[in-house]
Amino acid sequence: MIEVVNMHKRYRLRNVLNGVSFTAEKGQVTCLIGVNGAGKSTVLKAIMGLTPMSKGTVRIDGRARERETYEKVAFIPDHLTMPSYMKLSEGLRFMADFYQSWNQARAGELMKFFRLDTSERVGNLSKGTAAKYNLVIGLAQDTDYVLMDEPFSGIDLFSRESIAEVFSTDLIDGRGVLLTTHEVGEIEHLLDKAVLLSHGTVAKEFQCEQVRSEEGKSVVDVMREVLWV
Amino acid sequence: MHTNDGGTEVFFNNRDPVYLQVVRHFKEQIATGRMEAGQVIPSRRELAALFKINPNTAQRAYKEMEEQQLIVTEGNSPSRITNQMEILQSIRTELLHDTVAAFIASIRKIEVPIEELLDLVEREFNEARLHESTKISDSGGDRND
Repeated sequence: MIEVVNMHKRYRLRNVLNGVSFTAEKGQVTCLIGVNGAGKSTVLKAIMGLTPMSKGTVRIDGRARERETYEKVAFIPDHLTMPSYMKLSEGLRFMADFYQSWNQARAGELMKFFRLDTSERVGNLSKGTAAKYNLVIGLAQDTDYVLMDEPFSGIDLFSRESIAEVFSTDLIDGRGVLLTTHEVGEIEHLLDKAVLLSHGTVAKEFQCEQVRSEEGKSVVDVMREVLWV
Repeated sequence: MHTNDGGTEVFFNNRDPVYLQVVRHFKEQIATGRMEAGQVIPSRRELAALFKINPNTAQRAYKEMEEQQLIVTEGNSPSRITNQMEILQSIRTELLHDTVAAFIASIRKIEVPIEELLDLVEREFNEARLHESTKISDSGGDRND
C-alpha cells in the first residue's frame, strides 16, 4: 500500500498542497482526479521524492522511502525522458542497465502489444507513440506499484483505447496503479478507486463500484458534485 | 464504452456497477440461448481482456454469479454455467420481469391508457425488428458504432 499522510507543498509563495492524505492499494487501480493545477502531478513527484515536500509522510508498504523504493515503484512521467537520439531498443537497454527490476521479456511483450518498432528513434515518435513507449519503459519494470502521470492526455482515441486495454491484461493485474487524469470519463470503468483532489486537499476518496451501487452515480457525477464549486 | 464479443456488443454505462452489468450480460446470453447449461466460460482474466474491464471487476462479477448459483467452479477446473435447469429457467423470467417493471415505472408518469400503450409497443417492436433484420442483411455484420 502507498500511504500519503498530510502532504504539504509550498511553491513560489503558494500552497499547492495543504495536507493531502490517501492510500493506494496493491492490486487496485487508483485514480487521482482534479482540475488542471490541482496538484496531481506534484503528489506523484513527491511520492517519488522528485520534489521536496514542505511537510508530510510517504510510506510504501509501511516503510519510508529509501533506495530500494525505486525498485519497487515505477514512475511514468507525462513526457518521455529518454534522449531523442536513442533507438527504442537502446532505450530499453538503458533501462536494463539502471534497474534491477527490469524485465526484458515483459518489455518485449509490451513492445509487441503496442506494435512499436525497436529501430525507430525516440526523437521521431509521434505524441501517442511516445506515450506508449513511455508506458513500456514504466511497466516493464517488475515493480509492485506503478505511478502514471496523465497517461491519456493529448493522445488520439485509438492510442487511448490501446493504452486503456493494458489495464485489462496481466501486464498490470496484481500491481498497484496510481494514475492521474483530468478526463476520467472514458476510463472510469477501469478504476477501483478514485481520489478527488481540490484546493490542495483530498475532497473525496471512494471505491467506484460502491458509489455506483449505493448512489447510482458515475465517477464523473461525483466529480461534478465535488469539484464544480 | 462498448466491446464486441463475436457479434454481441456489450455496452457499459458508468452509473450502474460494472460487475452487475457483466452479470446481466451473462444472464441475457443464457436467456437467449447463446450460452448453454454446462458451457465453460472464459477465465476471469480472459473476461477482463474481452470486455476491457478491470480484472477485479471481472472477479467480482464471477463471485456474484457464483453466489447466485449461475456458474459453478470446482477446484481448479474452469468455471461453467450451472446445469440446474430451474435456475436457468428463472433467469429469463427474472430478466423479463425486471425490464418490464423498469418500463412501467417510467411510462406511468405519462399516464397513457393501456390500449394505446400496447398498440404502440406492438408497432414499435415490429418496426425495430424489421429495422434490425434489414440492417444485418445490408451491412453484412459490420459494426455500427
